[in-house]
Amino acid sequence: MIFPTIEFAAFFVVVFVLSWALMPHPRAWRPFIVVASYFFYGWVDWRWVLLLTSSSLVNTVAARVIATSPSQLVRRRALIVAIVFDLGLLCVFKYLGFFVTEVDDFLDTLGLGSPLPLLQIVLPIGISFFTFQAISYVVDVYRGDTRAASLGDVAILQSFFPHLVAGPIVRANELLPQLRMPRDPRSVLAGPGLFLVAGGLVKKTVVADELARRVVDPVFNDPLAHSGAEVLLAIYGFAAQIYCDFSGYTDMAIGLALLLGFVLPQNFNRPYLALSLQDFWRRWHITLSRWLRDYLYIPLGGNRHGERRTYRNLMLTMLLGGLWHGAAWTFVIWGGIHGAALSVERWGREHVPGFRLPRWLAWLVTFNVVCLAWVFFRSPNLSTAFDMLGQIGAAGPSPLVTLPMVFLTVAAILVQALPNGWWRQAESWLVARPVAAQGVAFGVLLVISDAAVGQQGVAPFIYFQF
Amino acid sequence: MPAGRVLGVIVVALAIAALFNSEAIVRAGEGMKPGTTRDIVLSIGRPLDDVAGAIGFHLPRDGLDLAFGHDPKTASGTELEEGSTSILQKLRRRREAAAQAEYRQPTPKRPLDLFVTGDSEASFVGERLVDQAPRGLLDVETVARNGTALTNPAFFNWELNAKQEMESRNPEAVVMAIGGNDGFNVEVGGELYGPLDPEWQTEYARRVAVVLREMTRNGKRPVYWVPPPTARDDEFNAIYAAQNRAVKEAVRAVPGARYVDVYNTINGGKYSDELTIDGRRVLARQSDGVHFTRDGAILPTRLTLRAMARDYPALGRKAGP
Repeated sequence: MIFPTIEFAAFFVVVFVLSWALMPHPRAWRPFIVVASYFFYGWVDWRWVLLLTSSSLVNTVAARVIATSPSQLVRRRALIVAIVFDLGLLCVFKYLGFFVTEVDDFLDTLGLGSPLPLLQIVLPIGISFFTFQAISYVVDVYRGDTRAASLGDVAILQSFFPHLVAGPIVRANELLPQLRMPRDPRSVLAGPGLFLVAGGLVKKTVVADELARRVVDPVFNDPLAHSGAEVLLAIYGFAAQIYCDFSGYTDMAIGLALLLGFVLPQNFNRPYLALSLQDFWRRWHITLSRWLRDYLYIPLGGNRHGERRTYRNLMLTMLLGGLWHGAAWTFVIWGGIHGAALSVERWGREHVPGFRLPRWLAWLVTFNVVCLAWVFFRSPNLSTAFDMLGQIGAAGPSPLVTLPMVFLTVAAILVQALPNGWWRQAESWLVARPVAAQGVAFGVLLVISDAAVGQQGVAPFIYFQF
Repeated sequence: MPAGRVLGVIVVALAIAALFNSEAIVRAGEGMKPGTTRDIVLSIGRPLDDVAGAIGFHLPRDGLDLAFGHDPKTASGTELEEGSTSILQKLRRRREAAAQAEYRQPTPKRPLDLFVTGDSEASFVGERLVDQAPRGLLDVETVARNGTALTNPAFFNWELNAKQEMESRNPEAVVMAIGGNDGFNVEVGGELYGPLDPEWQTEYARRVAVVLREMTRNGKRPVYWVPPPTARDDEFNAIYAAQNRAVKEAVRAVPGARYVDVYNTINGGKYSDELTIDGRRVLARQSDGVHFTRDGAILPTRLTLRAMARDYPALGRKAGP
């Protein structure tokens, strides 16, 4: 089930009412929210629920063993078993097909034929997200950062429907304490909740889908048929599209959770205002970057073992971050560009003290490096990516470069520069209006969003495939 | 804010959206797979749409559609829904009388302006035409209308859409890849018929002919119709076989129409997940047992190029075996 659909609207109204009705009775509320989340997840294919349930079960048992065993060896083994299981799930569903094909092709080039069976594996939506949450949970229990929770709580942590499909990647100590706190139905954070849902919807339908349909998809499908101006607009347009698509989804997820009384972590903080790549990664997909930092970069040694190891760790972290998105060389290169740029920045900071680019130039360089990496991220293969880059200087007519598309691209980037206070003032003003006026305002926004989408329906969110 | 007030805001917002978007609700319902959800959405949406339409609540949405540049994709009283099968005879006579049209041959300086459309199957075909055709001879624009079918015009009317697309884009040639979502019952003379009934097939041929007529401009524009391939599921396979016979009949009647036989040609008409392409074994079908993968889409694409090469010989240079 995806958020901007009739089915989800009906589902959410029922869940909203029952959730607040059952909130004073935690023993009823917990199974209810798990069942509701499983219903949400299993809407397309109920077998995926079995996968999610098995993940919760294995990680609950492992965390219990880690929390209760006095033996360090047993604790360590339980941690390893859980991580192997989690990564195993990810490998089977996400990487096995790619790996088998690559090995099979390699054997074929050696003249050994094609001995391996080609695998047809359906990627369960959200598996990368709930798997990373599971790993962070058992590692946190192992580190003593969080307490081992009951099966029901772990199931809620993994399956809570607002964040289940595409994040934010929530840590146990962010969500589980909230399950233990009583929530007051008289003070729902409606302003930010409704605002985030409405804003996310507009970002997705009015900006992301329009840019995709009118510029980005046509150009990336056939770069050689387009002029340099169209290619450039498609590259910057994709930067705007992916931001509005992904942050739009996250805004809706955070907003829906707020309406149910839960606070999820922030995932985006005006990323295209970043003045360096390091700054960018503190603003873009924040919950993934901190996951990579805490569960990959630091365990690899971080910056504690000399300069060379630091660069190696940075590169490894970003390459694996790229691979997390999918088994394709385009994602590896995307991660490689970010890893290399982060390394160059770090080298510059450490070896050229006092050197600082002017702010405007730092922004320009950072933004364009990010956009260069997006070319590989968006392209279906490497040759398309190189065609895109090679076509930037091409002359020719540019019918796709229209004022509305340029405006949408620029607006999606510039709107991030608006002060946060303005949004809060608007929220406060709206929440102070009568219920009917608020309802009409949000209803009108829904009508506009649906009209923007047109008959084609909402395109799938980009991050669903990860 | 108390939860009750929040619920009030949500309910008012959804009510406003439903009233002003009632047409969209009905369309969304028509596009759903048959089942309880579809029945519920339509049983609420249709009466709501009647009321909203009578009051004039459609007008703001119509204005917004205009502002966003969206043409309406459904209409009542179109020939696709209500026409007569005599169109097949009329077009066939016209085809027999007409001389074979001469088409402008593509060159690297002036590539062929090709429009690829249809249901979801059109996506990969359009994508692969770009890399399978001789470089620089095709200028491909692909618009896939996912989930659409000729037997579900209440959700998406292909006659109307073909007319709009041909008027606005005026391509030199069209590839139409569609059929995987057909199989809805059709009403002929007040009776409902299923895909295996001869009446359904005659009606389907008529609908294909109506859409082809809009696209071919009396044979001045060639249209390459790519029907669904064999499916893993026997029931689907039987439907596709019947449906494709109907498409062939329509194509024979309409000047400028070409049938690309992906059903009988690929793997000798036998379904297989895996196929060998250029000596390399690839996973050719997606897990649904119908759609091609990106690798597998090379096969229908090459068959399309082979069909196109009869009209545009230069395109045959790289079209595979």
